[in-house]
Amino acid sequence: MSQAAAQFLLETRGTQRELDAFVVAVCFDRAGGTAAFALGDGTLRLVSMADRESWRSVDVHDGAALSLAPDATSTGFVSGGDDGKFCRVGADTTTVADFRSKWVEHVATHAGEKGKGLLACAIGKNVHLFDQGGAKLKELTHPSTVTGLVFDARGKRICASHYNGASLWFVNAKEDSPRKLEWKGSHTGIAIHPDGDAVVTAMQENALHGWRLSDNQHMRMSGYPAKTAAMSFTRNGKWLATSGADAMVLWPFFGGGPMGKAPIELAGGDGVVCTRVAAHPRDEMVAGGFADGLIVLADVNSSRVLPIAPPGRGPVSALAWSPDGSQLAFGTESGLAAIIDLAKR
Amino acid sequence: MANTETEAQVPVTVLTGYLGAGKTTLLNRILTEQHGRKYAVVINEFGELGVDNDLVVDSDEEVFEMNNGCICCTVRGDLIRIVSGLMKRRDKFDGIIIETTGLANPAPVAQTFFVDENVRAKAKLDAIVTVVDAKHLPQRLEDSHEAEDQIAFADVIVLNKTDLVTPEELAAVEEQIRAINRFAVIHRTERAALPIEQVLDRGAFDLNRVLQMSPDFLEDDEHEHNDDVTSVSFEVEKPIDPEKFNAWIGALLQTEGPNLLRTKGILSYANEGRRFAFQAVHMIADGDFIGPWKDGDPRVSRIVFIGRNLNRPRLRRGFEGCVVD
Repeated sequence: MSQAAAQFLLETRGTQRELDAFVVAVCFDRAGGTAAFALGDGTLRLVSMADRESWRSVDVHDGAALSLAPDATSTGFVSGGDDGKFCRVGADTTTVADFRSKWVEHVATHAGEKGKGLLACAIGKNVHLFDQGGAKLKELTHPSTVTGLVFDARGKRICASHYNGASLWFVNAKEDSPRKLEWKGSHTGIAIHPDGDAVVTAMQENALHGWRLSDNQHMRMSGYPAKTAAMSFTRNGKWLATSGADAMVLWPFFGGGPMGKAPIELAGGDGVVCTRVAAHPRDEMVAGGFADGLIVLADVNSSRVLPIAPPGRGPVSALAWSPDGSQLAFGTESGLAAIIDLAKR
Repeated sequence: MANTETEAQVPVTVLTGYLGAGKTTLLNRILTEQHGRKYAVVINEFGELGVDNDLVVDSDEEVFEMNNGCICCTVRGDLIRIVSGLMKRRDKFDGIIIETTGLANPAPVAQTFFVDENVRAKAKLDAIVTVVDAKHLPQRLEDSHEAEDQIAFADVIVLNKTDLVTPEELAAVEEQIRAINRFAVIHRTERAALPIEQVLDRGAFDLNRVLQMSPDFLEDDEHEHNDDVTSVSFEVEKPIDPEKFNAWIGALLQTEGPNLLRTKGILSYANEGRRFAFQAVHMIADGDFIGPWKDGDPRVSRIVFIGRNLNRPRLRRGFEGCVVD
């Protein structure tokens, strides 16, 4: 399909704005009713799916927003900024914690049953854990600065990447001591398999490292020309989609893989680096954003690729699906933000 | 409309120097002077900084080894994160100033700006500025490698507290500095007072200095076998063959990298109207064309090495062997 078709898709099914600030992150709330873009000017831009043409700007951070996640409840968001604030943004904005001169570079949340959701943020070497109401539960200390933070699918464990590996903590443990996942080098991001048995980190040296938790087996995934900034497991955990090459690179997590298995590459061939990936929440499809601004959707099994938005408006810096997979939101470094409705009509 | 042009790289100034040398005083001068520019300053602890217009970022120095088979390749992980974070802000900076702790080796800071692709795309090392204390430097050089390394790495040396020494002592200490690094610009100061344009926005590692200094025509051609840091430079008039140069410098940095603190060169390639600027910190090298040779300028190629155990005759023969046949 041509770029013109992608432009047509963006125009007929999209809502978009030029926001004149770096789009740091995007996500939907857990109910899927609202999308939020976190920007380098410190604002969050909220778009209701019920009224897609009214974009609301909320002043949250004095500086740049650095991190974003859906709140643990069904609506609202949490964000971190270089003003040291960890905030909650919904009907109104509240500061959960203020770390002053330290940057809040990573946030993570988990939606628990009966109000037992969790909020977390990383400040330097420490991960601060809060209950759903914003009350501090505990502080988890790491050997060096935390570079990535993720809850497992059940919210039982939280895992942080750092120099020389990652630390896996049980959230409800009485005594806090992590399971140490060790591998020499600088780890710069983290993902956890949906079934909770594998942790994968991105590394400074343009490679991924993984640990299978059941038997302590190491996984090494290399060959990237650039650093991997985004990792996303497909719905059933069969594939790990990654950025950092001139295609979306998908590693098989079945049939003994990824050890000894080659990855598949989707939407490659243009020589442009893939900067963001987001696996579809229901189907075996992956969306990818590239350094030239191109957005594509690829079907994993058929390798068919559908361009969603044409290149030309800055490197893609944020990409996310709505929980039902009907909406795809993305943003670029130069400030384009858009949401495309891919629901059947 | 969206801007697809490559934005200019933000210049980065690294400020090193022993505790008590006057580093914080200099930083305060930079930040309080009315220069109409906006800087982001990366420090290790909040001190008595008079910060108004500028952004201060508090950071721990986290030095990481790279897993690239290069034993001396270390980077500052915190700087990789900070530079990429700063680039997300809407209000852009005219420059970034990085203050290191007194005992810090400047190599990891400098190498960060060569090694990390994302950092390289957004920021470039402008100059390493080392503040030294005229009175206590001789003692520091006696008892630490770091003081010597900080001088070796410097593009600009602020020789501070000159009011505390006699003219003879000052001359002696300057000679000591020159023995380590002949190529840095030295500014004599009291209370770190100097025009800030002498420190900031020096441009391209002050590479032009490489051309201004006279090469080692008259020096003894002998191999120095000792642990002291020295500096040498060579010049050739015939154009350089890029392939020969890359092969030679690549092999040299691979074997001698740990001893070579800094290497800088301006090269005249055959059939090329632009000057090629080359620089390296230990084994990590970088090079780029930096604009045309000016009419009337002699088209000579120069290279400078600052390091330990420099084998001058071998370096000279190696460089001279890079000219076109």
